Amino acid sequence: MNKLALYIVVITALLLTACQEEVFIELDSQPDIPVIEAIWTDAPGLNQVTISYSKDYYNLDENQVERDAEVFIRDEETEQIFPFRFVPQIGAYLPINNQTARIGREYSLHVLMNGRDFYSKGRVLPPPTLDSIAVNYREERLFREEGYYLTLYGDIPFETENNYRIRIVRNDTLLNRRNDYLLFDDTFGTQILNRGFELNGYAFKENDRVRLELFRLNRDAYDYLNELVGLLFNDGGLFSPPPQNPTSNIRELNENGEVLGYFKCSSVLSSIITIGGAEN
Amino acid sequence: MKIYIEFRKRKLPQFLGLFILIFTFCGHLSFAQQRDEVEGVVYDTDSGEPLPGANIYWAGRPQSGVVSDENGRFRLQKITLPAELVVSFIGFQEIRRQIQENDKPTKIYLRPEEFSLSEVVVSERRPDENVKSVDMGKSVVPIATIKNIPALFGEVDILRSLQMLPGIQTAGEGTTGLFVRGGSADQNLVQLDGAPIYNPSHFFGFFSVFNPDAIDNVSLYKGNIPAQFGGRLSSLVDVSLKEGNTNRIRGEGGIGTISSRLTIDGPINDKVTFVASGRRTYADIFLGLSSDPNIRNNSLYFYDLSGKVTYRPSDKDKITVSSYYGNDFLGLSEQFGFGWTNWVNSAVWNRTLSDKLYLDVNAYHSSYNYAVSFQDEESGFAWDNLFSESGLRGELVYMPNENLKFHTGVHTQYYHFSPLNFAPDENSNLEGITTNARNALQYNLFLSSQWEINPRFSAEVGLRKSFYQQIGSGVAYEYENGDPRTGVLTDTLNYGSFQTMQTYSGWEPRAALRYLVNESSSLKASYNRNYQYLQVASNSSAGLPIDRWVPADRYMSPISSDQYSVGYFKNLVNNRWEFSVEAYYKDFQNIIDLKQGANVLFTDNVETEILAGRGWAYGAEFLIRKNVGSTTGWVGYTYSRTYRQIEGISLGQPFNPRFDRPHDLNVVVNQQFNPKWSASLTFVYTTGQAVTFPIGIYEVDNQRLPLYSDLRNEDRFPDYHRMDVSINYKAPDKGRKWRGSWNFSVYNVYGRKNPFSYQFAEILNETINFRPTSDNPVTTRRPGVVKTYLFTYLPSLTYNFEF
Repeated sequence: MNKLALYIVVITALLLTACQEEVFIELDSQPDIPVIEAIWTDAPGLNQVTISYSKDYYNLDENQVERDAEVFIRDEETEQIFPFRFVPQIGAYLPINNQTARIGREYSLHVLMNGRDFYSKGRVLPPPTLDSIAVNYREERLFREEGYYLTLYGDIPFETENNYRIRIVRNDTLLNRRNDYLLFDDTFGTQILNRGFELNGYAFKENDRVRLELFRLNRDAYDYLNELVGLLFNDGGLFSPPPQNPTSNIRELNENGEVLGYFKCSSVLSSIITIGGAEN
Repeated sequence: MKIYIEFRKRKLPQFLGLFILIFTFCGHLSFAQQRDEVEGVVYDTDSGEPLPGANIYWAGRPQSGVVSDENGRFRLQKITLPAELVVSFIGFQEIRRQIQENDKPTKIYLRPEEFSLSEVVVSERRPDENVKSVDMGKSVVPIATIKNIPALFGEVDILRSLQMLPGIQTAGEGTTGLFVRGGSADQNLVQLDGAPIYNPSHFFGFFSVFNPDAIDNVSLYKGNIPAQFGGRLSSLVDVSLKEGNTNRIRGEGGIGTISSRLTIDGPINDKVTFVASGRRTYADIFLGLSSDPNIRNNSLYFYDLSGKVTYRPSDKDKITVSSYYGNDFLGLSEQFGFGWTNWVNSAVWNRTLSDKLYLDVNAYHSSYNYAVSFQDEESGFAWDNLFSESGLRGELVYMPNENLKFHTGVHTQYYHFSPLNFAPDENSNLEGITTNARNALQYNLFLSSQWEINPRFSAEVGLRKSFYQQIGSGVAYEYENGDPRTGVLTDTLNYGSFQTMQTYSGWEPRAALRYLVNESSSLKASYNRNYQYLQVASNSSAGLPIDRWVPADRYMSPISSDQYSVGYFKNLVNNRWEFSVEAYYKDFQNIIDLKQGANVLFTDNVETEILAGRGWAYGAEFLIRKNVGSTTGWVGYTYSRTYRQIEGISLGQPFNPRFDRPHDLNVVVNQQFNPKWSASLTFVYTTGQAVTFPIGIYEVDNQRLPLYSDLRNEDRFPDYHRMDVSINYKAPDKGRKWRGSWNFSVYNVYGRKNPFSYQFAEILNETINFRPTSDNPVTTRRPGVVKTYLFTYLPSLTYNFEF
């Protein structure tokens, strides 16, 4: 509904003959803050940790990537360590032996670099049930273009910790515009999958190959992504809240140093569909 | 309300009082001769009513003239006839008539002089009010002045006009929100005939709800708010609908660029008058003419209706009933609809109990609601909310002598915030949401006195006591460690109807002192404490129609402010010029803000999203103003600073809210060239808004995100400045009932591109707002800054009329 308000404001602004132009503003600089993005799921191939640094706003250089960190994830129940190692080809740390999380377990993330020790914690919550995905052709109408749309059927049996993200990869391209984020919790109930949840934001064409991923997140990671989307929509105007960095769930042990990014500890349901074809 | 008139027309020697805003035509002179006197009646041609106070004398003998009585009648000692009789009256064309010995009785009709309008200054205060009153931080802008100020889209706007006064900031380009002496927009009590208006704006804040033709008077209190008023910390904007005239049915209105308006007023009988007014935009009418169904099926309009009936059952009683109804609507393709409505009703009874004792009783009900609907097979919904305030206020005014005046009374308020209702359509996969209602009662007692201690000292001292009671039916929640910010619920408490849930009370002393240095200058000082028991839970600077008001409860204490101010007031050149400088310091307690990423719209646990802290503001306001002559206007300059300090924001350090704009200069000039032509010019210069710019960039989740400092609003927009001009042409009076005038105005005449926002976003393919497609993929991307600006060279034309 925040998007609704923004939409209305945008419409209004356009009607009021708003104009836009690109400008240059002198900005202060505080680069080199570590950015840690850690993904730990029960799905092989998704788990990785990237470590980079912030830079000047206008800097067009490649991101500075940290290659020499010690990265591992620990099972808080069994105290098993899952070490990660840096893979230069992708610029990220991958778990050795492609290990994965187990559902229901609590894990902690540890990143040690340059004498600093960064830490986070999360639990891999059980996923909801995803029974089937239907594909329906829809005509163009308000807020929706013409095309094929996915409808998810399943069940959310949980009373709490209902924080979900759906991610769509179309023809090997991750849909990652700000409008492509689909985050939902139980504000509007948990029956959304039972009645069929049509993904209105994504129109597909015939023969599109679609991979759908449904993450069940911890609240702090969900909040992080929500704030990230809010920031992407923040136009710096009167109707937007003052911009702030999304609240990281990673902290520096024994210090109060600044760190950006987040730890996503999640279960994943995924499915691959070819529009006009069969579901896998 | 007292009306003071200053008459400066050089060719008429007499100064007489009258409210003058009329036109007329020539009439006849009538006489009946009895014995040694001539006798007659003088009438106003416009109203047909007898005209008291007219001067009647023989040519060359003004010293032996007489004045017409309350019925317009006169008797003048006869001289040798034939002779020339002169009849004159302030603001009317002088009539000279040859009187013969045997003339038959006729009536005399006087026609008002057009030219006098430029020479007579009508104001709602004495010429030396600036110096001699105890008022501090009070501004009265006559409606006539407001109508002359160049307006955005030609829409004369009362609230935007108030932004031209010192000490009042705006949230940004075009908006009508008032930020008064460091207070936020929800700290202003905007009331219409004593009833509050919770959302005083149309069109997302770009226009205020007031139709200027329907308004009689606007007063703004920002410093010493008398003890009779309360409920908001920073200002009182007291607006009165005008009353119908007692003479004949009249009308006025205008056809503008985006709206038209019409006001009709007059008598129903000799005891009852009425005024009815309406205004509506017509953008949607033009949308409907489009051949494109995507445009044709959209709606966008606002309208407002107001009316007032005045009943004078006796010389001692006056009863008025007024009502305002305003509605906005935005509809897209007949599928999406968003509208909001203000409905304000007020009844006032004024009774003169004796020549020293007066009674005012005011009952009101004000409600505000919004509704959003979306028609869709899978995710359709209807979402609405309503809140209201009902009140009863009684006030006694006792004036034992001319130097002493007491006000005392009681004011009871009932707040009702309905449950938010989110109802999905039958086939929707969403579930409904209904929050719990919030209700509160507030009782206020007040006593104040105005005492002219001696010719030099005058004081106004008052005390207000407010009792606040959150009542059921409702629900309160308990949290882990008693801290709602944990978000962990431990218990839910249900309360029955009118059961007390939480109480607060506060003493609100008010004091003001004036020391008259000499006849033309004075020193003043004041102290004010105010309590406010409801706030808007928002962290954006401009209000939205869906903003959520939250009344004080067990977790949210009322906000309070203490304001100290001193000032020096000086009138120059026989009160033609006014000068003042006021300095103030203001403390705020329990100011709220929102946690990052807070969602306050759909939750029943709004307290979990709120942070509270303190604030302070200080400043100096300079004003020099010319009220009379063919050139009028003012120059106001304010230096001010505003701070907030809230745990959880900006590392707990003080920060400036967006509307902290240290330098604020406003120039308003009106020039009357001749009876037909006049022009106005306004110039605004302010420091840019306090904002937060990025200090870097980083990547996460495949997004390039701006990096922000933990400190809020350390940066500034560029300084804001703008000049508006308008030219008014009033057609010569040809003796017809219909009188028209044209107003041509240009907003932002030199086309300054004042930023509305800066968005820090990726520039794709070197194009702003590039939308990639499969045929047109992204080839380049880099961080950039996109400035949005709203209005440059915005001309508008308005035709105004009276009949």
